[in-house]
Amino acid sequence: MSKGNCLAGIDAGHVHTKAVIMRGAEILGYCTVPTGFDLVAAAQTALKDASDHAGISIGELGEIVGTGIFGDRIKGPSLNVTETVPEYMADAKGALFLNRNSRTVIDVGGNIHKAVRYDQRGGLLDVIQNDKCADGLGIFYTNMAKAMGLSEEELSELALKSTQSLSLAIQCALSAESDAIDLLCQGNDIADVADAVSKIVAERVADMCTYLELTKEVVVAGGLAKSQAMIKHLERLIKQDVSVLNLPEYVGAIGAVMSHEGGK
Amino acid sequence: MIEQDYASVKKPLDWKKAKAIVAGVDVGAASSKTVILVDGQPYAVSHVTTRVPKEAALKAMNAALAKAGLTLEKIHYIVGTGRGKAQVTFARETLSEVACGAAGAVRVWGPSVRTVLDAGAQSCKVIHCTEKGRATAFLWNDKCAAGIGRSMEVFADLAKKEVSEIGNIALQSDQFPKLSDFCAVYAQSEALDLMRSNVPPEQVIAAYHHAMAKRISILVGRAGLKEDFVVIGGLAKNPGVMGPLESILKVSRLASKPEWDPTLIPALGAALFADAFYRRQQSGPY
Repeated sequence: MSKGNCLAGIDAGHVHTKAVIMRGAEILGYCTVPTGFDLVAAAQTALKDASDHAGISIGELGEIVGTGIFGDRIKGPSLNVTETVPEYMADAKGALFLNRNSRTVIDVGGNIHKAVRYDQRGGLLDVIQNDKCADGLGIFYTNMAKAMGLSEEELSELALKSTQSLSLAIQCALSAESDAIDLLCQGNDIADVADAVSKIVAERVADMCTYLELTKEVVVAGGLAKSQAMIKHLERLIKQDVSVLNLPEYVGAIGAVMSHEGGK
Repeated sequence: MIEQDYASVKKPLDWKKAKAIVAGVDVGAASSKTVILVDGQPYAVSHVTTRVPKEAALKAMNAALAKAGLTLEKIHYIVGTGRGKAQVTFARETLSEVACGAAGAVRVWGPSVRTVLDAGAQSCKVIHCTEKGRATAFLWNDKCAAGIGRSMEVFADLAKKEVSEIGNIALQSDQFPKLSDFCAVYAQSEALDLMRSNVPPEQVIAAYHHAMAKRISILVGRAGLKEDFVVIGGLAKNPGVMGPLESILKVSRLASKPEWDPTLIPALGAALFADAFYRRQQSGPY
């Protein structure tokens, strides 16, 4: 492979750091690692593993573009990040790349959820982010799966089998967790509680979306996009069909690559 | 806090000659505990992770029984307690975790105990009690202060540390930024933001522990603190929270008993009630 052809994008998030390797419009490799405290180490590991996945060496990479909440922190001599782009911009570019017809992306991450509206070239039109009381939705979802002894996939699968509709407090993830534990302690079916967990996440995301015009096509990104149960509730609440992006958690990293040199 | 499951025999007693074999089962939000008493003496204990409360109750009971070489039919009386007490379907009686926490604490630390802080995974409560271990008053956390114990585990995950080591890391730092101490969601989010502003990990960890200690201290302050003071529940094992808590409250708690895991105390209390109920039943008028 010729050197300089490949570009890397790193999305350093609150909970996970994602790296993607691309050549033109082709995604060669990707990898996700927990962020932890050492952001640079996490970015290095993600980049190394993504390169391995792509079957190239880090030396063969051209530019590395950073984004995400910690995007600026991974710049530095140890990691040759040449450029960083704001996460909203990366979200728009990434979502548009993954779905050419999309005009709005709802990104449900570990600590923050946001929605971005953009034009046919990925130019930003509008942005909304959750208020602080709704922080940590993704962390909450992961945590609930763990508390119930399930993987996140199993939680979603179980939730889809729910037969009885239960509800959790709308206020915050903390109250919601407390309510979910109570529902379990009252002997409710675990599938119904899993459904309630998926529903409250969708409710918080839908609440946020009322502040923004959702121009079609609406796509969903972020790790929680993989929860079919959450998507089902979200579609009902925002009264629109949404499509889940392929590789939803990599939208930022892909968008970082796509934004390289102003998106060309 | 979620920890390793375990079961052990406290004292090698001969239950075959015993008059009263009883058990207390405490189904908590994160873990379920069982204590078996033989003629009033602690015999076997267990501690298992709660996933589905109904299954956890049975799992905790069976773990202790297996360790003790006993079967469920041999137990004369079982009392259930904890948030999931309704799921201890094999219990004769269920009691509040407030009553059980006080009874267990006085049994372990003695009659001088007047205030018990039960700092568990999902709830915190302050219990006042008599020298006989009878709870006289209590204050339960409001919803906004729920989940402090469990949030420690989530926080440890985010920091890529073990929940058992994170409390000691917190003690390594004297100076740290202040976080929201009203809401654990805010505190968690602010801690994540501190990482972005290049604050050293041990300072972020210390800041988070201090915020949680402050939150608990407000509850204790509202309930009123009478000495002697003891702490039970999973957070009692976290020096990063307990240290700041004691200094904010300007009080020292009675030292933890090495022979008693502080998470087992309400289950012990439930077992003590089971013992009393069984004896009363045996001596009662027929």
